[in-house]
Amino acid sequence: MKSIQNLLAYTKPYKFFMMLAPLLMALEVTMDLLQPFMMQKIIDSGIANNDMSYVMKIGLLMAGAAVVGLACGAGCTIYSTRASVNTATDIRRDVYKQIGQFSNENYHEVGTGKLLTIVTSDISLLQSAIMMTLRSFVRGPLLFIGSSVIVFFQAPELFPILLVLIPILLFFIIFLSRKAGGWFRKVQDGIDQLNTKLQESITGIRVVKAFVRRDYEVSLFQQVNHSLMKTTITAEQIITVMMPASMFVINAGVVISLLMGVIEVNGDTVQVGVILAFINYLNIILMALTSSSMVIMQLMRAFPSAGRIQQVLETENHIQTMEHQESTSGVKKSIEFRDVSFSYSQNGEQVLKNISFTALKGEKIGIIGPTGSGKTTLGKLLPRLYDADQGDILFDGIHIKNLKLDSLRASIGYVTQKPILFSGSIERNLHFGNPSAGDKELAEASRQACAAEFIERFENRFGHRLTQGASNLSGGQKQRLALARAFVRKPSILVLDDASSALDAGSEAIVLEALKSDFKETTTFVIASKISSIIDADRILVMDDGKIAGCGTHSELLESCPLYQEIYSTQVKKGGAAVDSASK
Amino acid sequence: MTQQANSVAKMQQSTGGGGLKGRITEPAVKTKDPKGTSRRVWNYMEKQKVGLLLSIVLVIFSSLLSLLGPYYIGVIIDHYIIPKNVSGTIKMAGLLFGIYGAASLFIWLQAFIMVNVSLKTIGTLREDLFEKLQTLSLRFFDRHKHGDLMSRFTNDIDSLHQALSQSVIQIISAILTVTGVAIAMFSLNWVLAIVSFATIPFMIFATRKIVGVSRKNFSSRQKDLGELNGFIEESISGGEVVTLFGREKEMFAEFDVINERLRHSAMRADMFSGYLGPVNNFLSNIGLGLVVVIGAVLVLKDITTVGIIASFVTYSRQFSRPINQLSTLFNSIQAALAGAERVFETMDEVPDLQDKKDAAAVGKFRGDVEFIDVHFGYSEEKRVLKNLHFKAKAGEMIALVGPTGSGKTTMINLLMRFYNVSSGKILIDGKDLQDYKIKDLRQRIGIVLQDPYLFSGTVMENIRYGRLNATDEEVIEAAKTASAHGFIKHLPDQYHTMITSTGANLSQGQKQLLSIARAILADADILILDEATANIDTRTEVEIQKGLRNLTKEKTSFVIAHRLKTIEEADRILVMKNGELIEQGSHNELLSRRGFYYGLYAKQLRI
Repeated sequence: MKSIQNLLAYTKPYKFFMMLAPLLMALEVTMDLLQPFMMQKIIDSGIANNDMSYVMKIGLLMAGAAVVGLACGAGCTIYSTRASVNTATDIRRDVYKQIGQFSNENYHEVGTGKLLTIVTSDISLLQSAIMMTLRSFVRGPLLFIGSSVIVFFQAPELFPILLVLIPILLFFIIFLSRKAGGWFRKVQDGIDQLNTKLQESITGIRVVKAFVRRDYEVSLFQQVNHSLMKTTITAEQIITVMMPASMFVINAGVVISLLMGVIEVNGDTVQVGVILAFINYLNIILMALTSSSMVIMQLMRAFPSAGRIQQVLETENHIQTMEHQESTSGVKKSIEFRDVSFSYSQNGEQVLKNISFTALKGEKIGIIGPTGSGKTTLGKLLPRLYDADQGDILFDGIHIKNLKLDSLRASIGYVTQKPILFSGSIERNLHFGNPSAGDKELAEASRQACAAEFIERFENRFGHRLTQGASNLSGGQKQRLALARAFVRKPSILVLDDASSALDAGSEAIVLEALKSDFKETTTFVIASKISSIIDADRILVMDDGKIAGCGTHSELLESCPLYQEIYSTQVKKGGAAVDSASK
Repeated sequence: MTQQANSVAKMQQSTGGGGLKGRITEPAVKTKDPKGTSRRVWNYMEKQKVGLLLSIVLVIFSSLLSLLGPYYIGVIIDHYIIPKNVSGTIKMAGLLFGIYGAASLFIWLQAFIMVNVSLKTIGTLREDLFEKLQTLSLRFFDRHKHGDLMSRFTNDIDSLHQALSQSVIQIISAILTVTGVAIAMFSLNWVLAIVSFATIPFMIFATRKIVGVSRKNFSSRQKDLGELNGFIEESISGGEVVTLFGREKEMFAEFDVINERLRHSAMRADMFSGYLGPVNNFLSNIGLGLVVVIGAVLVLKDITTVGIIASFVTYSRQFSRPINQLSTLFNSIQAALAGAERVFETMDEVPDLQDKKDAAAVGKFRGDVEFIDVHFGYSEEKRVLKNLHFKAKAGEMIALVGPTGSGKTTMINLLMRFYNVSSGKILIDGKDLQDYKIKDLRQRIGIVLQDPYLFSGTVMENIRYGRLNATDEEVIEAAKTASAHGFIKHLPDQYHTMITSTGANLSQGQKQLLSIARAILADADILILDEATANIDTRTEVEIQKGLRNLTKEKTSFVIAHRLKTIEEADRILVMKNGELIEQGSHNELLSRRGFYYGLYAKQLRI
């Protein structure tokens, strides 16, 4: 309920529509109710007085009322649609905005499947609930209350029956709504799971096909689908009880009122005319319930959805920003890691343990070490994709938490290990790095990343369109675009996470050369598994199991660090002498 | 007929589209075939015949019982209450109570069953769609946004539900009421009956007009919803890059464009279809007015009586209500069809890779692989592979080397038959690849893909993906061979640690190790490693190679690698450049030739 209240704030800009729609609906209902009244006029005055012109006059009035009714009805449609669609669209916009601010941890906590369900399914449910409420909810309660009041005055003897029936009806409605609400929440959870399964089998389609796991995937999907179906059936079957149950209660009232015709209460029985009137009103109440039941059903579905939407809107970003923050335009002196420790989960294994080192402006820092030793994690702490559990990371002596997040990230060019590109043109992808980059800058960056060579071969060059996941590019091409995207930023800091793993030696040489000549002022972190990628680094950090096992230049480490020596020995020709001499 | 035409159109679309030009924007709204679509939905619904029949019977019963109620009320009043027959009244009241109870019970049962029928129909439809999706080839997936495909399973199929669960009851009860009332009206006064029916043609006309436009509106709404889903899915998948480059605002702006489009198409769809109610209400009010006025005239001319007008007024109301309901139903059917069309659109996709009729089963490959004059392009205009010609003998280790984008992965894609060659032939054991069953072919070739995709589940489950009936011991054995055992041991729940497809709990190198273990477990006859160790440190790589060497002794293997050290021991190295095979031979042969390979090698080992 609370969540609905919070979301109702979104209807504020459309307050006018929200009020107008039910008002117009009430008018339409009034016009409908006027019809029998005018009919009576025709019969009582027109026919009785044999007055043809009067009949015609009232007939025209009826037509007029119908036209007004039409206009009001159409108006109600227009405004209810405006109110509901606009509200839903605005909510969707804010939800997306919120998702856009999510940290990695937020994403993993909520899950892609659920986010997708919320942005489409949940918001759509909310939209139709608002629309239905505005279009037809007025009619039901209005008739309901109206009839009850009339019964109170017209058939007071039978009013006590209503006093019994109404609480029973309300109990049914509330009880079923609650019960169904819980189940509908589960339905939405089921859709989350369906979405997750779908996304995985579509994204992993190459793996599925390579291992011929079609049947297996289908059986997994069937499980998810089946449990969604079961939950939905249960949820909706709870709802099916509502209509027949309220019919039954109302009809029981009819039977009781008939009995009152013969059974003496306070020494008197109830008049037949009163009973007939009462039955008539009971029927109107039933009709009111029927027309409201659709709305109630929609609302039942919408409540849990509203809760889910609200949950996303209220999710706190794991990356907190401080109040007094300084802006940075890049590193001027140094970046320092001071005793930094980190783990991905609260009680999980520490991925980084007491890391301390300093990188001066313009230095090239190489990071090498076995798989899973924490290299990537180290890189991710710099742009605050995650915050360290302990220790400080300082930019020119200022804690990075005290820097404006957007300015911090704007000063970093990052190439992730797995090159993530978006569908759309190459230009669009490179503009990610720097939206204002002109043709010259794009060409420059792609030259530095050794991407120009293949981009030039595309018919539309920078306009060449990539498919989702850039499945129409080779692994090395993707990586070079990811490099170009970081280069075009002309950042103060570059983090290259295994960014040349899919590059051939020739391309890599060009990239390394560009780093050397064009990014002199840039503090660069090169995470690599090939020693050749970092051999020229000013300093190399050797990581092992989350700790720094060695730090120094290539030749220093060759002397002092056993792990480095071991890595080296696996990468040079046995003996290594031939290669060593080649470098000189 | 129409179905045929549809699939022909599909084929033209899929061949003419030229696959890889990104998301091809389709024409706004295609002319579609609502009748065919409804028939196909009905075919699905028919599978729940028993439930469907049962609920039809229940509708008839409950409608009859509801008619009995008012009749008995009259009887009770006239014959029992007015004569003050107390015991009789109580008895009859009991009967009435029973009738109402039964009616409620039947109505509930009917709704209960229909929920089952409708949701089961939808469940089956979803399953079939998924099965179909799984048969489609990579070209199809290259062409569509993932989120848009997903939207077909959720938003589109769900729009069917509403219509399905209500349609049967409403159509049948409407038919019952309308027929009953029509008979009553004609027997009372045929002139007034005709007058009452005068508005019906207008109602039909208005409904058809509105429904026709609504269908198009709903179609574009579903399309926009799909596009939105596609955009969001992609932006969430790439969320990290968006964050890193601080592109939240720009992504939001792009989202907003689609969101606004959806705002308008949703508005148009709901608004226009919403006019149907008031319009039909208006027409029935006009009809009522006509009955009264003409009735009055007839009374004045002594042709009919006031009582009859009164009856007609009641009947007209009863008559127009089900018709109004039906027209609302038609609206939700339109929304349903708009969704169903998108579902069937995917169902009608023709997989461009299919088994030949007499495709051969594969028990085991010896492992001779031959490429004969193979040409290939992802699209017609652009050749990625040119005139590829080579032979690999059983048991050989073949390395593929060359600059990025030279066509190495593409070659592997052809060997796996992810795509068909444009011209030329690939032979395995002397037989054309296309003469084998695709399923068997792929099963006998083990592959480690460049991008190690893992599914949500435990580590154990992910490795077992390679061979589903492998025992725990076999899985662990494979993990050991892949040098993955070491890190798995240190995970919180070891082999039962949950991993997610997006999760950060494994490094890229660790994912690669798992994906190697997966391929090892598959125990295929031909092994392909596409940069399988690119993100793995060289120490571990050496270990893996030792393990793999034992494993691939008898097997033909293809290895793509940039670290040339990895492939020095290959029996033959194929050097690719710009889609052509420019050199081949053993490491020493190629070095002594001092050609392209020599250049690559020298560059890389210049430590």
